[in-house]
Amino acid sequence: MTKKTLDPLVGPMGVNNPITRQVLGICSALAVTVKMDTALVMSGALIFVLVGSNVMVSLLRNLIPPRARIIVMLVIIATLVIFIDQLLKAFLYDISKQLSVFVGLIITNCIVLGRAEAFALKNGVGASALDGLGNGVGYGIILVLVAFFRELFGSGTFLGIQVVPLGLYAQHGGWYMNNGLMLLAPGAFFVLGLLVWLQRTISGYTED
Amino acid sequence: MEPAMHYLGLAVETIFIKNILLAYFLGMCSFLAISKSVETSIGLGLAVVFVNGITVPLNWVISEYLLGPGALQWTGLAGMSGVDLSFLNYIIFIATIAAMVQLVEMALDRFSPTLYQSLGIFLPLIAVNCAILGSSLFMVEREYGFIESAVFGSSAGAGFFLAIVTLATMRYKLRYSNVPPGLRGLGIAMLLTGLISMAYMSFSGINL
Amino acid sequence: MPNSNRYTYMFVALMALVSALLLSLVKTGLHERQEFNRELDMKKNIMMAAGAYREGMSGQEVADAFKRGFAIKRLSGAGRENVPAYYVYGEEPAPEAVILPVDGKGLWSTIKGFIALESDLNTVRGIAFYEHAETPGLGGEIDKEYFTRRFQGKKIFREGQLVSVTIAKGEMLEESDYGVDGISGASLTTAGINRFLRADLERFTPLLQGRAQQQEQR
Repeated sequence: MTKKTLDPLVGPMGVNNPITRQVLGICSALAVTVKMDTALVMSGALIFVLVGSNVMVSLLRNLIPPRARIIVMLVIIATLVIFIDQLLKAFLYDISKQLSVFVGLIITNCIVLGRAEAFALKNGVGASALDGLGNGVGYGIILVLVAFFRELFGSGTFLGIQVVPLGLYAQHGGWYMNNGLMLLAPGAFFVLGLLVWLQRTISGYTED
Repeated sequence: MEPAMHYLGLAVETIFIKNILLAYFLGMCSFLAISKSVETSIGLGLAVVFVNGITVPLNWVISEYLLGPGALQWTGLAGMSGVDLSFLNYIIFIATIAAMVQLVEMALDRFSPTLYQSLGIFLPLIAVNCAILGSSLFMVEREYGFIESAVFGSSAGAGFFLAIVTLATMRYKLRYSNVPPGLRGLGIAMLLTGLISMAYMSFSGINL
Repeated sequence: MPNSNRYTYMFVALMALVSALLLSLVKTGLHERQEFNRELDMKKNIMMAAGAYREGMSGQEVADAFKRGFAIKRLSGAGRENVPAYYVYGEEPAPEAVILPVDGKGLWSTIKGFIALESDLNTVRGIAFYEHAETPGLGGEIDKEYFTRRFQGKKIFREGQLVSVTIAKGEMLEESDYGVDGISGASLTTAGINRFLRADLERFTPLLQGRAQQQEQR
C-alpha cells in the first residue's frame, strides 16, 4: 500500500484532526468528556458509524441527486444509527442503555455528515472507509485526551480509579479540592482550547 | 397565569437561562467556525432562527398526528390507537430540518451568493446542527403545545443568534490583540466561549 | 440524469420508502425481544431497590426470583386512578418491602426509578434508577451504586408528615435522615429528582398510610 492510499487514514489522526483542525464534532466533545469511560464508548460508537456511513454514501455516490444530497445523506446516516440502536436494544440491552444518550449525538455529529459531504461523495469505497476510520480515531484521540484531564482534575480519578490520594482532600483533613469547573462545559472549553494551542504549536499550523 | 405571560416567560427562559448553546452546549461546531466574522454570524444566526422557528412547530404537528403513541387515531382505521411510530422521530425530524435547510440554501444562493460562499460547508451543516434537532427533541420531551413549540423554536434560535453574535464581536475586538500563533483562531475562540458560558451560568439560579 | 427534478424526487421517495421499510421491519421483528429485555431490566431494578439482586444473576435467575418473591399490586376503584401499580417483596399482609415507581423530568430526559421502603413504610430500603438520558459522568451517575447506596436507611416521613429524601447540592451541611449528598455538576438533574420523588411519594402517601393502619391493626 502506498503512502498516498494511507493518507485518508493517517491525515486526520495527526494534523488534519476533525476536532482541532476541521472544527467538527465539538458538541459531543463537551458532553461526553467528563469521564474517560464515556469518551471511549462514544469514540467507539462514532468510529463504527463513521466508517459505515462513509462506505454507504460512497457506494451510492453516483446515484445521489445533487440537489437533495443533504437529505439523502442524513437519511442514510440516521437509518444506520437507528438500525444499530434497535439491534443493540434487542441483543445487547445493557450496552444500548449506556449508549442511549449518544444515539442522538452521533446522528447529528457534524463529523459524520461533514466527511460524507467532503469525502465519501467524491471518493471510492476503500478510501472512504479509511477516511472514516482515520477521522474517527482522530476524534477519539482528542476526546480521550480531554476526558483524561477533565476527569483527573474534576474528580481526581482515572478511568474511575481514585488517583488523587484521598488523604489529600479537604474533607479528610488535607487541603486539596477537586476542580468543579472541570466537570462543567467551561472546563471542557478551556481544556480543548489549550489542546488546540498545543497541537498547532507542534504542527506549526496557524489560522490568520 | 395568562397565556401571554406564559409564552413570554418561556421565551426569556429559552433565550437566557436555558440558552440552547451556552447552557445545553448544542450547536457548537458552526458556532466556533462561523464566529470569525460578524456578518456571517448574523447571517447564520438569522438562518437558525428561521429554520428553528419553522421546524419545531412543524415537527410538533408531525409528532402529534403521525408519530406519537396513538397519534394515528384520527384516520379512523382500526388498531391505530396502539401504533407508536416515535422510533422514527430522529429521521423524520431531520428530514424536515434538511428540507428547510435545502430551501434556505437555494434562497441564499439566489439572493445572497456572498453569504452562501462564506458559510461554506456550514450551511448544509445547519441540518445536523445539534441545536436544531435538539430543539425538536426537547419539544417532544417537554410535551409542549403548538404555540409553545413556535415560541420555543424561535427563542432557541434567538438564543443561538445572541450567543454567536456575542462571540463574533468579541473575536472582532481581539483582531489586533497579540494572540500567540498557536492560539489564534480556534484556540482563543474556545477559551472565550468558556468565559462566556461561565457568565451565562450565573443565569442558572434564576427561577421564572 | 441524476440532475433532473424527476430523478431527484423519485430517488428521495425511494430512499424514504426503503429506509422506513427497513426500520419498520427491524422494529417489528425485534419488538418482542426488546420488550422482554426492558421488562427484565425493570424487574432487575425493582430487585436492586429492594436489595434482592446479586451481581451476576442471569436473566433467567432474575425472572425466577422476581416471580417467587415479588408481587405486583394494582389499585382500582374511586380516587385510585392516579396511583400507578406498585410492588411488594415478601408475603402479604406484612411484606418485607414495598417498592414504588417514581418518574419525572431530569435535565435532558425523563428519569424512571423505583424506591423501596422497609416494612415500617418509612425507612428507605433502596433506590434504583433504570431509565434516563442524563449527562454521562454527571447527572448520569444517578444509576451508580455509590450514589443509590446513600439512600439506604433514610426516612421519608417526619412526625407523620411526608418530607421525602432530598439530594443536596454537593455535600450535606449536616447529617440528616432526610437528605443525601449530591453529585458535583449534577445539580439540575438532582433538583429534578427531588421534585418528582416528592410529588410521587405524595401521591402514594394515602396508600402508605392505609397500609400502615392495616398492619397496626394486626
